[in-house]
Amino acid sequence: MVTAPQTEAALTPRQGGPDTASLACRLTAWVAGVFAVLVGLNLWVGHVGAKADDPLKSPQLKAYKEQLRLSPADKQLKQSIRQLDLELRQRYFRQLSQTGLGVYLLLGSAAVFVLAITQGARLRKRVPMPGPKADDPEQSVRSAARARWSVAGSGAAIGVLLFILSLGWGTALPKQTAELEKLLGPNDRAGAGGLNAAGQAQASDAATPEELRQNWPRFRGADGSGVSIFTNVPTSWDMKTGAGLAWKVPAPARGFGSPIVWGERVFFSGGDALKCEVLCLDGNTGQTLWRQPVAGGPNGPTQADVPDSTGYAASTVATDGRRVYALFANGDCAAFTLEGKPVWSKSFGALSNPYGHATSLATWRDRLIVQLDQGDGEDGKSKLYALDGRTGQIIWQRPRKTGATWATPISIEEGGRSQVITLAAPLVIAYSADDGSELWRADCMNGEITPSPVFAGGLLFVASPSEKLMAIRPDGQGDVTKTHQVWAVEDNVPDVTSPTSNSDLLFMLTTSGMLTCLDAKDGKKQWDHDFEIEFHASPNLAGNRLYLFSQNGTAVVVEAARQFRELFRTEMGDALHASPAFARDRIFLRGVTNVWCVGAAAREKIAGKQ
Amino acid sequence: MSLSLRFANRHLSACSLALRKGSIVSRTWPAWLGILLLSVTWTFAEQRFPPPDFESGHQLPVTTTPPARALTLEYLDVAVLAGCLGLASWMVYRRRSRTGLVALSIFSLLYFGFWRKGCVCAIGSLQNVSLALCDRGYAVPLSVIAFFVLPLVLALFAGRTFCAGVCPHGALQDLVLLKPVKVPAWLEQALSVLPFIYLGAGVLFAATGSAFIICQYDPFVPIFRLSGRTLMVLSGAALLMLGMFVGRPYCRFLCPYGALLKLGAIVAKWRVRVTPDYCTQCRLCETSCPFGAMREPQASPAGAQALTRDRRRLALLLALAPVLLVGGAWLGSAFSAPASRLHPTVSLADQLASAQGTAPKFGALSPDDLALERARQTPREILTEAVAIQRKFATGGWIFGAWVGLVIGSKLISLSVRRQRTDYEPDRGGCFACARCFEFCPNELVRRGLMPAAVPIASSAASPQLPGRS
Repeated sequence: MVTAPQTEAALTPRQGGPDTASLACRLTAWVAGVFAVLVGLNLWVGHVGAKADDPLKSPQLKAYKEQLRLSPADKQLKQSIRQLDLELRQRYFRQLSQTGLGVYLLLGSAAVFVLAITQGARLRKRVPMPGPKADDPEQSVRSAARARWSVAGSGAAIGVLLFILSLGWGTALPKQTAELEKLLGPNDRAGAGGLNAAGQAQASDAATPEELRQNWPRFRGADGSGVSIFTNVPTSWDMKTGAGLAWKVPAPARGFGSPIVWGERVFFSGGDALKCEVLCLDGNTGQTLWRQPVAGGPNGPTQADVPDSTGYAASTVATDGRRVYALFANGDCAAFTLEGKPVWSKSFGALSNPYGHATSLATWRDRLIVQLDQGDGEDGKSKLYALDGRTGQIIWQRPRKTGATWATPISIEEGGRSQVITLAAPLVIAYSADDGSELWRADCMNGEITPSPVFAGGLLFVASPSEKLMAIRPDGQGDVTKTHQVWAVEDNVPDVTSPTSNSDLLFMLTTSGMLTCLDAKDGKKQWDHDFEIEFHASPNLAGNRLYLFSQNGTAVVVEAARQFRELFRTEMGDALHASPAFARDRIFLRGVTNVWCVGAAAREKIAGKQ
Repeated sequence: MSLSLRFANRHLSACSLALRKGSIVSRTWPAWLGILLLSVTWTFAEQRFPPPDFESGHQLPVTTTPPARALTLEYLDVAVLAGCLGLASWMVYRRRSRTGLVALSIFSLLYFGFWRKGCVCAIGSLQNVSLALCDRGYAVPLSVIAFFVLPLVLALFAGRTFCAGVCPHGALQDLVLLKPVKVPAWLEQALSVLPFIYLGAGVLFAATGSAFIICQYDPFVPIFRLSGRTLMVLSGAALLMLGMFVGRPYCRFLCPYGALLKLGAIVAKWRVRVTPDYCTQCRLCETSCPFGAMREPQASPAGAQALTRDRRRLALLLALAPVLLVGGAWLGSAFSAPASRLHPTVSLADQLASAQGTAPKFGALSPDDLALERARQTPREILTEAVAIQRKFATGGWIFGAWVGLVIGSKLISLSVRRQRTDYEPDRGGCFACARCFEFCPNELVRRGLMPAAVPIASSAASPQLPGRS
C-alpha cells in the first residue's frame, strides 16, 4: 500500500532551478498579457473608428456625388471625387490590413501568455495535502438537499421565463385556416391575393368620368385612346417668333414618360439611379410648383439594372383627380396629393425587364392599376395589381403567365362591366376592375408588345407589333380568340406607337414614319403616307386633326379624314419621344431638352379649379 | 428599346411594306432577316456597357468563381475526426497520458478550430440532423451525419473522450485554464440542467427551420474565424477569461452536444478511473478535478429513519415527475407561439397581419418595410406557410416543454438516489476524460515508474507526522 509520506517525497518539486524558470515564466506572462491587452484595445479603437472611414457610407462623398449630378460637366468636382474616393479606400483597406495583423498579434500574445502561465504554474506545483476530514455522515445529505433546491429553483426560473415570454410576445396570426380566409378578405376569391383592406368600405373619392374627360389624367388621355375632347387645340405655331407657344422651360428631370394634366397643373416623373422624383409644373407659366423625391430603400431609389435607353422614368404618371401616382423602372411607386404632399410609397422590387419597365399607370375610380409584366412568362413574376389609391394597399392582384411587356392597360365600361384590358404576348386579357376576376382572353399577340390598346366605337383595337392589328369585340366571356375578332390587318402595323381612333377612322403610325388610315368598322385602308422620319410618340386626335411628333423634333398636323392632307409642319428643335398631353386649348410636350406648352399665352385661372 | 433592335424592326417593317400580304414568303423572310440581324446585334449588345478605359493601363481582373470545396476533403475531415477520437480514447484508457491529450487538444484546436474555422462541428451538426429528420426537403451531407454520430457512438463505449481532446471548443477552454476555482456543488447542479434546456431549444428551432441558434450564438467560432459580430467576439473573450478560473464553463453549463454525450457516458461500457489499480483512499485526488467531476466515497444511510425519509422523498419526486412533464408541456405550448416568430416567414406574416389597416408609410423604406412590401404581394402564400409553421411549433413546443419538465424531474430524482461508492472516482457523465487526475494518484505514479512500489509501513510511532494530519 502506498503511504502519504512516500507520496510526498516523490511528488515534492525540485528546489532551486525552477525558481528562476518560474520567474522567467511569470515575467513572460506579464509582458505577453500587457501586450495582448494593448493590442486588444488598439483593435477595439480601430474597429470603432473604421465605421467612419467606410467609403460606401461617407457623407462627404455622397454630397460630392449629388453635386456632380447637378453639374455633370464639372471636371474639378470629378477630380475631387476621385481623390476622396481613393483616400477613403486606402484608409479603409489599411485599417482592414492592420486589423488582420492585430488579430494575429493578439492571438499570438494570448497563446504566449497562456503558455507562460501554465508553465510557471507547473513549476510551482505543490503536492495536494488534504486536510483532516470531519466525520459528518449528514454532510452529503445536506449537500444533496441543497442541490435539489437549487435545481428546483433553476427549473422554476426557467418556467417563469417561459411563462413571461409567452405572455409578452404574442402574435397577430390566426391559428386556423378558416381564420386565415377571414384575414385575406372577400377580394381574395380564387386566390387573387389582397388583405382585407379597411379602405374598401369608404366611398370612392376619385373624380367623376366627366372630370376625367376634361383633363388628361394618364398616358394618352382619360381613356387611353389619345383623343382629346377639345376642338380648340392649336393647329399651328411659329417656332421662330414664338407665336402660338405659351412657354418653354428646360426639362427639370430626365425621363421618357409623357406629361399628364389636371386642371392648371402638369405632372410628370423623372430620375436616375441617384434620385427619382415626381414634378409638378404650372400649366400657365411652366414654373415648377413642386418636386418630390421617391425612394424605395433607406439609401435612396431601389438599385436596379435599368438600361439608359429606357431610363428610370419611362412610365407615365397617372392621376385620379385627387392624387398623382408614379412608378419607376426600379419598382418604386408613390402617391402624392395634387399639392405635392406625400401620401404613400411602396416598392415592388427591381423589375426584370430586358429593355427597362415602361408600362404606364392607369386608374379606375380611386384605384391604381399597375401592370408589372416581367421575365419570360414561365417564372411567375408577372402580375396585375389594383391598389387602393388612398393607402397603397393591394386590393387585388392577379398572377399572369405572360412575359415582359411595355403596353399600358386601359379601363373601359362595356355592357355594364368595368374592364381592365391588358396586352402581353401571347394574350389579350380583360379583368374585372372590381375584383380582378378574368372576364375574357384572346390568344392573338406575338413579339414585344409595346403599342397600347385603344377602345373606340365599341371595338377594342390591339396591335401585335409589326404583325397584325386587330379589332376585337370586348363583350365576350372566356376564350374569345376565334369568336370575337371583327377584323385584322397586317400591313404597316406599328411596333412602338399606339394607334388612335375617333370611332370612324383609325390611325396607326410605325416607327419608320408610315402613317396609315383605316376605317374603324371594317379595317379597310383609306390611305397611307410615309413621312420617312422616325416616331416614338403616339399619334393623337383633337377634333378633325391628327398630331404627330417625331423623334428628331418634327411636329406634323394632318387632317383626320379619309384623304391625306398635311396641314402644318414645323421643327421643334428638340428630340420628342414622349406622347403629348392635351388640355383644353393647349398641347404639352416633353422633349429631351425642354418641356413645351403650345397654345395661347398664360390665361387667368378658371375660378374654382386648379 | 435599344437602337439596334429598333433598326432591325424598322427594316422588318420596310420589307413587309414592299411585299404584298398573303404571300407566305413575304411573311417569313423578314423574320429570317430579323434573326440574322439580331445575331449581329448581340455583338453590339455585348459592347453596350464596355468597361472604362483606364489611363494608367490598369487591366480589369477577370471575374472568377471559387470552386466548391472538394467532397474528398469533407471525408478527410471525417477521417481526421475518427482518427482523433481513436487516439483520444487510447490516450485516456491505455496510455493514460495527459501530455498526449494536451498535444491532441492543440492539434484539434488548430485543425478543427482555426483551419476548418469551427465548421462543421459535432455541436452544430445536431441541428442539421434535427432539421433533416423533420424536413424531407433538407439534404444533410453524410460528413455532417458522421460528425454527429461518431462521438456519440464512442461515448457509449469510452465516455466523453470527444471532449477530452477532439472538440476544439473544449480544447480551447482546457488550454486556457490557469487557476481553477471550485464551483459550489449546489450551483453546479443548478446550472447543469442548462445544457439540456439549450439542447431542447436548439432542436426545436432547427427542426422547424427557424434558426440554427447553437451556431448563431457559438461564442468561440468568431475566435476561430478571427472575425465576427462584436457581441459574439466579446462573449467568446469573456467566456475564455472566465474559463481561466472556472474550468470549461461552456462545456459544463451550455454545450448542448455535451448533454447528449453525458447521457451516453453514463451508460458507457468503459469508464475513466483515477487509479490504474485500486483506490487507496489517500484523498490526494480529491481536488484534482478542476471541473467538479470527482466523487467521494459514499456510504449507505446510517439508520432506518434516514432510509425511510429518502424513500419517501424519492416516491414524492417520482409522483411529481408526470406533473412536471405535463406542466412543462403546457408551458412549452404557450411558448411556442412567440417562439415561432423566430422563423423569418412567421415574423414577416405577423408583421403583415399587424400592418393591416395601419396608415401608409412614405419615404425611404427600411429593409423591414421593404420585406413587408414584398410580402403584401403574396399574402396568401406567406400567411398559409406561416400558419403551417406555427402548427409545427405548437407540436414542437409541447415536446420541448415536456423535455424541460423531464430534465428537471430526472435531475431531482437523481439527486435523491443515494449511491454507494467505495472509491474516489469521476462522475460518469461529468468527467471530460482530461486525464488531469491521473498524476495525483500514487498508483499511477508507480505505474509510470516515477515512484517505487509500496512497502508495508511499520508501527504508527515510527511514521513521520505530516503537517495537518492527526
